[in-house]
Amino acid sequence: MTFGFILAQCLSALSQAAILFFIACGLTLIFGIMRIVNFAHGAIFMLGAYVGLTVLAVTGSFLLSLLLAPVAVGGIGMAFEWIFLRHLYGRREGGAYLLLTFGLAIVLSELIRVIWGPQPLASGIPDYLRGIVVILGQPFPLYRLFLIASGIAAAVAIWQFLERTRAGLLIRAVAQNAEMVHALGTDVALVRTGVFGLGCAMAALGGVLAAPLVTAFLGMGTNVVIDAFVIVIIGGMGSFAGSLIGSILVGFVQVLGAYYFQDLALAFMYFLMLIVLVIRPGGLLGKED
Amino acid sequence: MITRQTMTRRRVLKGTAGASALAAAPGFLRHAGAAAPIRIGIPTVVTGGYALLGSQVIRTCKLVKKLTDARGGLLGQPVEFFYQDTQGDPATCVRKCQELVERDNCRILTGVIVSSEAAAMLPKLEEWNAIFISHGNGDGRLTAELFVPRFFRANTSAPMGARALALYLKDAPEKKFIALASDAAWGRSSNTAFEAQIKKVGKEIVDMVYAPVANKDYSPYIIKILQSGAQGCYVALQGDEARAFYSQATQYGLAERVQFFTEIVAQADIKVLGKDAIGLMGSSRYPLTYDIPQNTAFREAFMREYKNEIPDWTDGEMYQALMILFAAIEKAGSTEPGKIAAAMEDLEVTSVKGPVLMRRCDHQGENQGFVVKVARNDKYAEPVGEIVKIYPREVNTPDCRSSSFSK
Repeated sequence: MTFGFILAQCLSALSQAAILFFIACGLTLIFGIMRIVNFAHGAIFMLGAYVGLTVLAVTGSFLLSLLLAPVAVGGIGMAFEWIFLRHLYGRREGGAYLLLTFGLAIVLSELIRVIWGPQPLASGIPDYLRGIVVILGQPFPLYRLFLIASGIAAAVAIWQFLERTRAGLLIRAVAQNAEMVHALGTDVALVRTGVFGLGCAMAALGGVLAAPLVTAFLGMGTNVVIDAFVIVIIGGMGSFAGSLIGSILVGFVQVLGAYYFQDLALAFMYFLMLIVLVIRPGGLLGKED
Repeated sequence: MITRQTMTRRRVLKGTAGASALAAAPGFLRHAGAAAPIRIGIPTVVTGGYALLGSQVIRTCKLVKKLTDARGGLLGQPVEFFYQDTQGDPATCVRKCQELVERDNCRILTGVIVSSEAAAMLPKLEEWNAIFISHGNGDGRLTAELFVPRFFRANTSAPMGARALALYLKDAPEKKFIALASDAAWGRSSNTAFEAQIKKVGKEIVDMVYAPVANKDYSPYIIKILQSGAQGCYVALQGDEARAFYSQATQYGLAERVQFFTEIVAQADIKVLGKDAIGLMGSSRYPLTYDIPQNTAFREAFMREYKNEIPDWTDGEMYQALMILFAAIEKAGSTEPGKIAAAMEDLEVTSVKGPVLMRRCDHQGENQGFVVKVARNDKYAEPVGEIVKIYPREVNTPDCRSSSFSK
């Protein structure tokens, strides 16, 4: 076992973590601000992949698909929040949110089937991202390096947005005490709509980036969203940094588990979640209710 | 007043193809008349990860209904298909079958996608007074350890797919192989059969790898294949799993280092992979380019009905299963499940895959083995599997009630 081999495995894990981060980050942002467990997040990830492929087919530009698909899906998310979700904020029990977002997941899946059909869709990688980079004697796809770079860029951008901008300050304030922020004259409903849209846009971006790895197909979001929920639980519900750490941990557990302990690969991720819940019930960076 | 119908080129082609499909069809399909429909239950996957395969089952059933009814039906009765969504889940499948039997009075079941669903149905067939004809369930155990008298498998099983490839690889330059399969009943059955067969022809298996069902990231497995030193990689993945694996393997440049051999060459995967699929070798459960009248008629009718869509292996196997079922109904002269089951035993039908014998001892259909290589073909808009070798059905079918081959 060479250093190059270990490095290739680590890079694989990081590229997997990057995809997971895009989904988990959106999920945790929505939960942190709105206290909503968004069951439609997997379907939104899938919608992002399909919209991205359509943009790619029409414009021929992968970069444009990375830009337009999140904007379009984020807009759909904002519309959904504005039309449906905001009428439920007065309710104390969370069951209504679960049912509504679960319903959205079903509606989106069926819409995708009606619009794009049941056949899977191919997603090519642009020529400038094709090819292999040999790192210490180990071949590694250039596209996966692009995924890692995209994940890092997105994490830094969101972190800076939350920490350094007025909008980010408002989002953090709403997460801590929405009533107080409202009393100070801020339109909390608008913040919630924006955050829901941002979360959906992140998931859609993940979908566009994942399509060249797995192709776009009906049901592509089902398993990914389970991983995302595990990440959010490990990192702490509502914690942005927690979702980043959780994504990296799950990425490593999935890749290394599949290589060294293939029969237990799936169990390792849940085992990790159990350990974290036993030691820190609120997640690594989350708060205990 | 005389109305004159212009014979356009398209109309002539339509008529010719329709006539040839009719002429190629077995005689029982040409009966006329109409009465109460023959009810056939299709518990298949409409939603979920295997929905594509379910959609192929449904489109072929619709085509068969159209063709059959146009010829006057079967035993003078129209054919009616009743569809239910099993979601690829065994428990849901059993529940939906129960509905098909009790509510819709369907005593003939086919179109089941997942082997574990099929396995869950077998113990219930007697209670339901139903028969089940598999069109695509690959798990070798279904006609071996799990055998029940009311189950028939018209299709090529996983051990049969592995067998054809292993026979072909006997003379191939590759000496060392690694086998990658989906960690499901079909994948395990396929890998095990391939290991036994490839060892028998004097080649080496360096590792057997199983990826979780619906796995997304194949990088650990690709690294494993690269590290294994294998020259050939046997792949028993299908649908979303296969496409994800081949997409990622292409990105790693794996195909330049290792020759892939797949248990099922699927047109849906070729369509998505495009030129990246060229050169892929494997067993074919439905050899699209097989040049016999029965296949030509089916292929033309299918492509005409579905606007030049190329039939996939599920379409071909579904069509074959229905042709065998219809031949058994005709032979029995009845739609009573027990009589159809009796008629099915030792029934021989020449279908789209050539002659198939539904042998009495375990109800496995003896199918020829096809090895294909994906290549461009001017007749089709996308690459297709070109036949490189055909193995006789006697050689390609396992021992009775077994997944292994003593021949």
